[in-house]
Amino acid sequence: MNNKPSLWKQTMNKVRTWARMNSIGAIHFNSGSCNGCDIEILATLTPRYDVERFGIKLHGSPRHADVLLVTGPVTRQARERLIRTYEQMPEPKFVISVGACSISGGVFDGCYNVGGSVDEVIPVDVFVPGCPPRPEAIIDGIIQLLGELQGGVPRPVAKPKIVEEVSS
Amino acid sequence: MSIEQKLQTAEQLLAPWNKETIRPEENRLDVVIQPEALHEAVSVLHEAKWGYLSAITGMDMGVEAGQLEALYHFCNGPAITSLRVRMPRNEAVVSSIADIIPPATFFEREIKEMFGIEVNGLAVTDHLFLPEDWPIGVYPQRADFTNEQAKAMEESHVDQMPEPGRVGENTFVVPIGPQHPALKEPGHFSFTVDGEIVTAAKMRLGYAHRGIEKAAESRSWVENLYLFERVCGICSHTHAMAFSTGVEQLAKVEVPMRAQAIRELVAGLERVHSHLLWLGVAAHEAGFDTLFMYSWRDRETVMDLLEQITGNRVNYSANLLGGVKCDIGEEQSKAIKEGLSYLETRIRHYLEVVTTDAMFLNRTRGIGTITAPEAERFGLLGPTARASGVMRDVRVEAPYGAYIRYPVSLVTETNGDLEARCVVRLKELLVSCFAMRSILDNMPDGPLTARMPRKIPAGETVARIEAPRGELFYFIKSNGGEIPARVHVRTPSLCNWVSVLEKAVGRQLADVPMLIAGMDPCFSCNDRVVTVVDSATQENWSWKRLREYGIEYYSR
Repeated sequence: MNNKPSLWKQTMNKVRTWARMNSIGAIHFNSGSCNGCDIEILATLTPRYDVERFGIKLHGSPRHADVLLVTGPVTRQARERLIRTYEQMPEPKFVISVGACSISGGVFDGCYNVGGSVDEVIPVDVFVPGCPPRPEAIIDGIIQLLGELQGGVPRPVAKPKIVEEVSS
Repeated sequence: MSIEQKLQTAEQLLAPWNKETIRPEENRLDVVIQPEALHEAVSVLHEAKWGYLSAITGMDMGVEAGQLEALYHFCNGPAITSLRVRMPRNEAVVSSIADIIPPATFFEREIKEMFGIEVNGLAVTDHLFLPEDWPIGVYPQRADFTNEQAKAMEESHVDQMPEPGRVGENTFVVPIGPQHPALKEPGHFSFTVDGEIVTAAKMRLGYAHRGIEKAAESRSWVENLYLFERVCGICSHTHAMAFSTGVEQLAKVEVPMRAQAIRELVAGLERVHSHLLWLGVAAHEAGFDTLFMYSWRDRETVMDLLEQITGNRVNYSANLLGGVKCDIGEEQSKAIKEGLSYLETRIRHYLEVVTTDAMFLNRTRGIGTITAPEAERFGLLGPTARASGVMRDVRVEAPYGAYIRYPVSLVTETNGDLEARCVVRLKELLVSCFAMRSILDNMPDGPLTARMPRKIPAGETVARIEAPRGELFYFIKSNGGEIPARVHVRTPSLCNWVSVLEKAVGRQLADVPMLIAGMDPCFSCNDRVVTVVDSATQENWSWKRLREYGIEYYSR
């Protein structure tokens, strides 16, 4: 049996990827961060860094978003909400974990109310280290993800989920 | 009145219940009282208008001592009177003072949750910081607490947030947060609404509760400096400054004047960054995205200056125990002055915008008005209080560090509405810019650090610093070791929440984001659709019916 998708499907996927590439909807979730990463994420949206030139816009609802930006170590209280927010996002969805805390717990590692890193809770595609990462670093993380979507150079951490969608 | 006279007055007032008087520091008076006498003693201090309740610190004296302590800190200018209540560990009970001082509710909920001190007469018994599934009878701040105890109930995690829905005739609960489009701290609010009008407001914190105070008790003094810097990323410098000031007081180390001046300078730049950030977010909540973009563009000027001085944009670690890490040279001084000139013109422009733009004024003028007596009663702090005409600013009341040599003037407004809060913050920036210039022009010479001992002498101290959002209160206790015995942090936001919860009631739901933004932690509400069920007929309303109801409602 031929598993290769039909030409029509291939073309449609190309169109879809092209459209997705140019209109990424992002959503931001603070799972117990100190605000440092959050203000840097906001700084990426404002005129100096202007992430909108890549077609990226912050949305209010997880249902309108493709990319989830998570900051902070996951506190026990925020854990369920993080999962719920992730589940509410439509497929395909991607997660960028921003900041040292979200990667390993950072300075808060070992605190009683901190569950650990974000990737223990939800699958993460791109990690952006730093305390807090500079806006340039956050943009670079997003661009890496975009490159991934485009079928560019494969990155070690990210899983190209669009391919999975095609085969199903 | 001098500090000494103030403390004497307090001692006389408290004489009937006084069991023991301790003078830990020059400006502090500790009065040991019985738990039963607390309510009366507090009401006497309150009636005599001796300062305001700044914080309640809980302390566990250890399993062997078998004693818990609660310290009620009253601040009056630089003078601090602490009522020290000692209780046995297994039956720690105090009576609530929230009927006299409403904002004490939050502090009482905190000591109840963290230390297991039972508070008689506390109206709200919900969790404040800890998750809903926290094991009963486990108190994280107690000396014998281990992380294993907290993990015991992890399997049975429940998310007990109220679902949106009907609670009574035509009233609904609209949940807001913890995830919301506007950023920053995750918090959950539930507003009960009747149509558009909010009839009740509730709040749930703890989404960002990490347990820093407990973690501090297992890290060295130097490590803690960087931990406390990460309590909040926006006012990181003031947190580190408060912690190091406290530790320096304990170690009796004199910080060089140049270091103090640089601390004030960085604190000033941080205030500019924080207030411009706030202005942008507030404008965003009001639907004025142009102002948001402009103020954030200008904020980058400050970020560049901070980066130039310290090497990082956020969490800049300018402080060291005993001094500062970075010097300010000729070149930097020039760059800062240029930056300040640009910012001053921009701030004047924004001052004009927030007081003349008709659209913005519709969202701010006359909304959420808090009168001066109300602000006193709610125990508001910082610009939120100063907008109501309350003269409360630690930099002026109890100058510390470089503020003695480079004073700032107090900025107050009288209207107490959201507009006044915008104006106060912006005018404050002009004052800050002025102070920063005077520092740069008269920069003292000398070393940047003083030598600090590795072990800090035993003792207790209080450090109060004016953060961009209001008075920041640190209580630090050392047992003479390499790690602190207790660090208590009371952030200004905790005191200001009351203003939102009280003022939202009776307003339209649409005003809520601005009210929340008005005190500086900023949230925004998601647009949500709730199913409207007519309580009389039990049938679901169609959009058409809902629309008709809306028109009907507003034409009343």
